[in-house]
Amino acid sequence: MQLGVVIGTATSTVKHKTFQGERLLVVQLLTSEGGDDGEPVLAFDRLGAGRGETVMLTNDGKILQEMIGRDTPGRWSVLGLPNI
Amino acid sequence: MRIAEVIGKVVLSRAHPSLKGARFVIAAPMPKEALVAGSRLRGEEVIAYDDLGASPGDRIGLSEGGEAANPFGKDVKPVDAYCACLIDQIHCS
Amino acid sequence: MFVAKVTGVVVATQKVASMTGRKLLAVEPYRVDEKTRDRLSPTGRTFIVVDALGAGLGDYVLICQGSSARLTPETEKLPVDAVIIGLVDTVDIEGRTIYSKQTNH
Repeated sequence: MQLGVVIGTATSTVKHKTFQGERLLVVQLLTSEGGDDGEPVLAFDRLGAGRGETVMLTNDGKILQEMIGRDTPGRWSVLGLPNI
Repeated sequence: MRIAEVIGKVVLSRAHPSLKGARFVIAAPMPKEALVAGSRLRGEEVIAYDDLGASPGDRIGLSEGGEAANPFGKDVKPVDAYCACLIDQIHCS
Repeated sequence: MFVAKVTGVVVATQKVASMTGRKLLAVEPYRVDEKTRDRLSPTGRTFIVVDALGAGLGDYVLICQGSSARLTPETEKLPVDAVIIGLVDTVDIEGRTIYSKQTNH
């Protein structure tokens, strides 16, 4: 799991069928020092995280597959909103 | 899944039989500076399988690694990057 | 996937049994020139890839890497992480052709 900061949201009409009805966040992953870790990622969110919030993400595709379908090309999803 | 800008395409003269008729776009990953502040900076481009009809200028969700091949199920294809969605709008702070 | 140029043939007499009879090529990844975006530029890196499509020296090829490289009938049981999945005909950037097999051969 990794921590990240929600820097925005994305909307899409033409998309893989498993993305239907799901909320997509733009999340900047963080290094242990709190710096930016690579390019921002698109993460699936059912917890309602807002812009500027710190979130706990997993890149375990299996969890996402159980959530939205086995054939999904997605990877990242929000696991929790840490009490920081 | 990173966010990438489509900048072009690759056309093949010969393809693996499982990829006959497939479309491949050139996708340049967008760093935070590009998403938040409109910087022209881009990461190293990736060639992605596309069945959504992405064209230059489009922003896409770029699926990479093993899950890029998930959409094909039992009809397996050697694909390590896949255009998962065309992005309408990104609201970034 | 990425575009690469075939730079050599790799022959290994001693190898694990499953690799017997597989054609291996050395390739150098190329990328769209970062500044001008009007040509392909070498990266200086090198990979060894399995070829089942009959690529030759100097050809530009499309490479699939990682676990997905085993998602073909030819490679599903092989201990490989990179495979040629196509021979490149053209590369277009924003509607302009920056590489064409016909004009480069």
